[in-house]
Amino acid sequence: MNRRKLLGGLLAGASVPTLAACSGGVTSLKGDGSGGEGGGSSAGGLVIGTANFTENQLLGYLYAEALRGAGVKTSVRPNLGSREIVIPALRQGDIDLLPEYQGNLLLHFDDKAPQTQAGDLQNALTVALPTGLEALSYAAAEDKDVFCVTRETADKYGLRSFTDLKKQNGKLVFGGPAEDKNRVVGLVGLKNRYGVTFKEFKALDASGPLVKGALKKGDVDVANLFSTDPDIEANGWVILADPKALIPAQHIVPVIRSAKADTKVRKALAKLGVALTTHELARLNKLVDKDKKDPDEVAANWAADHGLTKK
Amino acid sequence: MIELLQNLGRWLTSGAQWSGPDGIATRLLEHLQYSLLATLVAAFIALPVGLLIGHTGRGAFLAINLSGFGRALPTVGLVTLVFLASGLSMWPVYVSLVALAVPVIVTNTYAGMAAVDPEVRDAARGQGMRRHQVLLQVEIPLALPLIMTGLRLACTQVVATATIAAYVSFGGLGRYVFDGLAQRDLVQVLGGAVLVAILAIALDLALASVQRLLFRHRPRPSRAA
Amino acid sequence: MTVDWGWFPDHRDDLTTLTLDHLSTAVPAVLFGLLIAVPLAVVAHRVRPLRGVLLGLSNVLFTIPSIAIFVLLLPITGLTRTTAITGLTIYTLTVLLRNTVEGLDSVPAKAREASMAMGARPLRTLLTVELPLAFPVIMAGVRVSTVMAISLVSVASYIGYGGLGQLFTDGFQRDYPTPVVAGVILSLLLALVADAVLVAIQWLCTPWLRRRA
Repeated sequence: MNRRKLLGGLLAGASVPTLAACSGGVTSLKGDGSGGEGGGSSAGGLVIGTANFTENQLLGYLYAEALRGAGVKTSVRPNLGSREIVIPALRQGDIDLLPEYQGNLLLHFDDKAPQTQAGDLQNALTVALPTGLEALSYAAAEDKDVFCVTRETADKYGLRSFTDLKKQNGKLVFGGPAEDKNRVVGLVGLKNRYGVTFKEFKALDASGPLVKGALKKGDVDVANLFSTDPDIEANGWVILADPKALIPAQHIVPVIRSAKADTKVRKALAKLGVALTTHELARLNKLVDKDKKDPDEVAANWAADHGLTKK
Repeated sequence: MIELLQNLGRWLTSGAQWSGPDGIATRLLEHLQYSLLATLVAAFIALPVGLLIGHTGRGAFLAINLSGFGRALPTVGLVTLVFLASGLSMWPVYVSLVALAVPVIVTNTYAGMAAVDPEVRDAARGQGMRRHQVLLQVEIPLALPLIMTGLRLACTQVVATATIAAYVSFGGLGRYVFDGLAQRDLVQVLGGAVLVAILAIALDLALASVQRLLFRHRPRPSRAA
Repeated sequence: MTVDWGWFPDHRDDLTTLTLDHLSTAVPAVLFGLLIAVPLAVVAHRVRPLRGVLLGLSNVLFTIPSIAIFVLLLPITGLTRTTAITGLTIYTLTVLLRNTVEGLDSVPAKAREASMAMGARPLRTLLTVELPLAFPVIMAGVRVSTVMAISLVSVASYIGYGGLGQLFTDGFQRDYPTPVVAGVILSLLLALVADAVLVAIQWLCTPWLRRRA
């Protein structure tokens, strides 16, 4: 075991300097050269990373367009992986900017955080984010976790909200990303706040093809999806209501390394945030997911249409 | 580092970890099931093909280059393609694993048959044996060592690749790798990886023993492909 | 399941970028593998007791699923191409080590003895006699590991550095077969071309084998 680590370490050590030269773009552990004191500077350009679902990539390209319109150089690294992969990358400096979601981001750093309202969440984030990272102004658009059932299931068991689930304790199957098992915005919270338990939990993905396929097939009864996912409307799935406010607000919020956050960047992203409503985001998602348009093209067109960039 | 290894040791040996629907016992059995079934199906397809090509000498080009093609085929791509075509089922897993194993078995089977000394074949025919007798009583027994090697190689590769079952929501040891990442539990990821390696090595050793037992008196073969 | 063939020419630029990206992960992996495997193979070949250990260790590494290696390397090398390359190198290393040892084994003892008899020191014998004679077997290993590396790069799409593999993730997420088909075809083509290039290099580098044929 030691040997393998040594080998890996040797290889890594040998590769880093050589590859930093030829890999172009993202270099690793050294971080960036620009300042770090107070102001921050975007002079060297920003690397925007995005997580492994299409909406996040769309947001990444939208950020790139907004920043481009403000004269900031950016490059987008799409589809890097789940939050567990991209957040450490952000902290290490492998990427500079990430589109995130208030509620889940806060819970990632403080899983006991009680805030549920957008303003409170933003303040809590300022406290909870580690040094060197910052949450900029949040957008009007929101994409929340929602727990859905098919119309048939809703009618069969009379399910309209989370409280109704309690009557079916131990009988239904829940599907979502693996982390839902231990999350407050997941099985743990459902049990503690609503007293709901399930027969089985299936670790699938976050509003991706696996969990949606399972819901369609009937392999799961309740699925954790994202509110802006066009498939919810397309399939007539029912979003269960959350009267006790278990699921926090999830406005889109740019998370950036403070060293790169200067006034130009802040203003450009805030301008984007004002223009991007939930309705618009859902519409763009549909273009990418259903109509199979390229996310970078969709983002560029939208940005030009909304005056963020010149045509 | 030490702490990680200690935690790993605890994870691998704790009773709680072994029981239940997500327990090591369940996942091991699932993984074994996927691997053995895929290897058997692959052998069922590949052995006749390899034997036929080796026996008739026709299609040798295919046999030699098939393993190269199999090696070049990206498993992730194939899994995704079959998933998009067939939805949430085990088809993506089995199609990809069989596609991985068939070329290896074909190439090694062919190599085994091709390595049979033509003089021995002639001698057998000279003794009056008919074609199928030559095949069954002379060629296959002589080619068996390399055929077995092919089966061993295929089995090992299939075991290591069966982690993709978790990528399309099913079980097996790959679950620990994917879920461990999602739950930020590095010990789980490591545990999954270690268990796959152990399973692959254990199966390889088991098959090697079978091979040794069967061919006690034969010279050791060299690997092909 | 339908494929939109018009998608291919429309995305020429993206496909080119992804192919180059794919190569810039696969090629260093093979080169580093070679760089490490050859000296290790010489050691394994010369030092009897280490042979079993080195070959055994590399075989064990080979059985670890590639996705796990990438994920486990993340905390060490970060979310960078280095992680993908390092992970791949572990696999190319295994194949190259095995083949180089076999290659050195296949050098006739007489050739080595003749060289030593002429006064050449071990290093010179290695470089001018043993390695050139072992070259065909080593090259076979380079070919196998190159094709393998090109195929395995797509697994690194799980950590964002999958080259053409990114097309697989995209198609998977959006229920869109077209990019997946593109990725598979290009990946196969890339492997074919790389293999052909290596065969050509081998042919060029071994004139003594050419003359005999």
